[in-house]
Amino acid sequence: MAAPAELFCWEGSWGLPSVDPDCLVVLAYAQFAGAPLKLKKISNPWRSPSGSLPALRTNQKETLSRPSDIIIYLRKQKYNADFDLSAKEGADSLAFISLMEEKLRPALIYTFWIETKNYVDVTRRWYAEHMPFPLNFFVPGRMQHGQLEKLRLLRGNESLEAGEELEKELYRDAAECMNLLSQRLGSHKFFFGDSPSSLDAYVFGHLAPILKSKLPNGKLQQHLKSLENLTNFCTNILLLYFPRDGRESSSQKTSSQPEGGDFDHVPNKRRKQFLSALVALGAMLSYALLTGMVSIQHVQQEALEAPPDLQTIGSHEEEEGDG
Amino acid sequence: MSLAAEAFVSQMAAAEPWPETATLYQPLKEDQILLSDCASSLAVQAYLRMCGLPVQVVCRANAEYMSPSGKIPFIHVGNQVVSELGPIVQFTKAKGHSLSDGLDDVQRAEMKAYMELVNNMLLTAELYIQWCDDATAAEISRPRYSSPYSWPLSNILAYQKQWEVRRKMNAVGWGGKTLEQVYEDVSQCCQALSQRLGTQQYFFNKQPTELDALVFGHLFTILTTRLTSTELAEKIKSYGNLLSFCRRIEQTYFEDKSSS
Repeated sequence: MAAPAELFCWEGSWGLPSVDPDCLVVLAYAQFAGAPLKLKKISNPWRSPSGSLPALRTNQKETLSRPSDIIIYLRKQKYNADFDLSAKEGADSLAFISLMEEKLRPALIYTFWIETKNYVDVTRRWYAEHMPFPLNFFVPGRMQHGQLEKLRLLRGNESLEAGEELEKELYRDAAECMNLLSQRLGSHKFFFGDSPSSLDAYVFGHLAPILKSKLPNGKLQQHLKSLENLTNFCTNILLLYFPRDGRESSSQKTSSQPEGGDFDHVPNKRRKQFLSALVALGAMLSYALLTGMVSIQHVQQEALEAPPDLQTIGSHEEEEGDG
Repeated sequence: MSLAAEAFVSQMAAAEPWPETATLYQPLKEDQILLSDCASSLAVQAYLRMCGLPVQVVCRANAEYMSPSGKIPFIHVGNQVVSELGPIVQFTKAKGHSLSDGLDDVQRAEMKAYMELVNNMLLTAELYIQWCDDATAAEISRPRYSSPYSWPLSNILAYQKQWEVRRKMNAVGWGGKTLEQVYEDVSQCCQALSQRLGTQQYFFNKQPTELDALVFGHLFTILTTRLTSTELAEKIKSYGNLLSFCRRIEQTYFEDKSSS
């Protein structure tokens, strides 16, 4: 076998293996199917081969970025979590995945990226803290812009703005979608039979961020917590398939309490120090150049003009010496 | 539709019975309407016929701009205007007409899920083929879409629409797909529907629901519309039970009325 494919994902937080729903879907599916992937958790989208996350770089150096494409690729590599499904169950999976894409995804975008308080306090903060230095100033804002654009196109409304009415509409759809999923799951452990399939991966990827994030406006979370079987479903998958991330969160909880004095634990401290020194140096240099440029060039011109004078003087002296 | 307006509409709706003068608006049938709009319009007509609610179909060149949500079709009932199948189903429900009351919770969840499957895959595929396949867009969609308008405006509106749909395709991740992949998706969707239907008369036993109306609207329109290639229709024709399903609904709900 050739080297395993490389999977690029957003870093995890809040006790989740990744903060991004799409990344979670792919990670969960890979775990369910037992696919050996070389996992690279990064927090810099520019280091991903496709420029966005998640991304899978296959052995043939192809890059896939849509979760469904990645799942189809893994399936073709014989890592199939849906092997035991009957044709009808496969059809049901497809239908419920569509249901989530249409009803739950817009609310998820809204609650993480558009709702002002959530975005400023949690989402932007998280991405800004985790991205390397120059990117953290503009990439989160650009991501938000992209998500707003996406929501507008999904809803077919060009002038869509954050507001109470939109929020109610989206949350009502999302709550209905969660109720439908809860009814479909019933008292089972997974959606189909005893082992998880791609539908379980999608449900987990969409619901786990709602359940685990600590958003100031947590209406979706409240609703999800009222549906006991879905909450258990998510925590079960976390325990069974991502035991390490779950434990990290409990240890993080205790250590992350003194949030204010956390500056000692800045990641890539050395590099950041170096970069800020470099920027300061650059600023000083450019200031010097802007104000003192003329004098520098003047000196150089003098230096260029000077040698002939010297030479003539020298030759004069030689002539004098000869004579 | 806004929530306040919706709450108001459902309150008003409960008070009044269904009038005889209800009208459904859609673009001009012969020269203007496109596959996706035609499918949505047929789905609503099928749904209303299944409910036994009379509606008169009116074609207007500016139907898209008359609709409150900018989407086709919309119905005008009494003094209310409602667009698209989902809200129309809720509207008729408030008036006491519902097709899905006999379903249990799991069945209702499945019905909603399959409806979203049709919207998510079939409708998106129709839009993709109409506006993102260059041959279809140039030969069919742009000329038909802009047929009621005169020269400079017709081009502007058609390209504006095409641009908007292409941006939407990028947003839902379909931008990078090839035509073959889209046909593959349609095939996958039809297979799922065919599996779900099995040998039953309708998707949920013997009674039709709004899912049957939606599936019929899309499949029947694809089967009976001429495009630059017949591949889309061919994908559906390989599923015998879907074909007979379409035929059955056509006979039960559309042919009786025209003959009588």
